[in-house]
Amino acid sequence: MQVMKIKYGEPFRIPRRLGDLFKDVVRIDGVDYVRGEGFTVRDYYALSNLNKILIRLGLVLLPMVTCTICGRDVDCEECEYTDVCRKDVNLCLCRECTYSEDVVDKYRLSVRKRVFKG
Amino acid sequence: MNWTEKYRPRSLVDVVGNEEAKERLVNYLRSWDRYPKDGILLYGPAGVGKTASVYAAANDLGYHVIELNASDVRSADRIQRAVGGLSRGRTLDAYFWGRAMRPLVFFDEIDGLDPREDTGGLSAVLEIASKKEFPVVAAANFIDPVKHKQLLQSFEVVEFRSLTPRQIIVVLSRIVREEGLSVGREDLVKIAERARGDARMAINMLYSLSMGGDVEALANPMENLPINMLLQRISSSISLPEIRALIEANPQHWKDVLYTYFDIIARSPVMKDDRRLSLLGVVSLVDTMIGRMERERMYFYMRYIPHLLSWIVYQANKWGAVYDGRIPEYRFYLFVSNRAVREELDALLEELGRRLHESRRKFLVGTLAPAALLHRNQFKKLYEWVSRTFGLRV
Ligand SMILES: [Zn+2]
Repeated sequence: MQVMKIKYGEPFRIPRRLGDLFKDVVRIDGVDYVRGEGFTVRDYYALSNLNKILIRLGLVLLPMVTCTICGRDVDCEECEYTDVCRKDVNLCLCRECTYSEDVVDKYRLSVRKRVFKG
Repeated sequence: MNWTEKYRPRSLVDVVGNEEAKERLVNYLRSWDRYPKDGILLYGPAGVGKTASVYAAANDLGYHVIELNASDVRSADRIQRAVGGLSRGRTLDAYFWGRAMRPLVFFDEIDGLDPREDTGGLSAVLEIASKKEFPVVAAANFIDPVKHKQLLQSFEVVEFRSLTPRQIIVVLSRIVREEGLSVGREDLVKIAERARGDARMAINMLYSLSMGGDVEALANPMENLPINMLLQRISSSISLPEIRALIEANPQHWKDVLYTYFDIIARSPVMKDDRRLSLLGVVSLVDTMIGRMERERMYFYMRYIPHLLSWIVYQANKWGAVYDGRIPEYRFYLFVSNRAVREELDALLEELGRRLHESRRKFLVGTLAPAALLHRNQFKKLYEWVSRTFGLRV
């Protein structure tokens, strides 16, 4: 079984020959295919439907998001809220940043940088 | 002052979550006059920061928000007068503040507008936006790709999503710090787990906790409510977050809630007909979603159903629909006029239940009630529908 990490809304290639399954994959609501770019997955529900197909080919896709504050990759499956979260965002927070003492100031700073570019 | 009011973001840096959406809103407000689109449309469930972002961004960038309730807008002229009047009225302020306060026109709940009405509403909004005299921001809970085609073409569309539990922690941490609360991390985690991505709800839970409440007790009593209790609570609530929380906690009753509200909206003697029609439109949309979710396993709809359903309940309550305490099975009979027909129907249900190996109640509430509601008293049509749908000759 191969595990591959992807990000919602960002194109990736499926390292398997899909054959007849291609039709089923692009029919999933929330999965798009652009020739030359690859597949994009919109959200958690689309991803779980996609995984139901890919698991037959020995492949599982895991969603990865980015920490707004420090930029680290965050693995949703490792998160303490994995059972209650919809996991359909691209940006969240890593565990260290979330529970740090000065998370509020760090968060403000990150928004200022990202949104106001300064 | 309650905390949701006290901690209303004054700047976008205090709006937590939806980073890309905030960025696109700022980009639009900085370059709206040379922007390729006529305006910007923020859409997503209630309580995730659309309105808060508009006011906070306006504050950051020196706009003053002129909020026009979309349902009241009847013509482009009227919008123009409202904006013109207000911006003139602000010139003295601008003088004293030392900077020009530019107007930003904000239409909230734009999905309440029906584009088929000639007299105004959506077309007025589109017309005013196309003149590009000031930035135009609209917000909607749900967008219908057919009904709002024009809007989707002329406006930049930005989706807002519910917050993640870790983002909720950031919201809470700010209040904990500024109020000097001594709240353990475990309690914050519990709130984040139960707030369902709604910052307002999380803040209210933190408030209850600080008043000596128990977090465990805050969310749990909402789950697994019997249907009549759920209906009583949502029909007597005027708080959208509360209605949504109750509905989200009881997915087993979504259909019953939908059909009950279908019934009370359809029969409300006080509700205006245009409101009735707009609500029934959303009812049929949710009905379709629930159907597709069940038949085609399109669980993507799980995201939208509770938001739309709570919006229906909230608006219906506001517009005079009254829940009279009867349970949904009962309502089905209200549409059947005479006793002979009722008896015939009873026999039909028994028979169908046997043949379909479903409990009578499940069949009645889940399948036949919506069909019966659609066909009203036309028993013959209902009969035909049953035969056609189930391939049965009864
Ligand atoms: Zn981080």
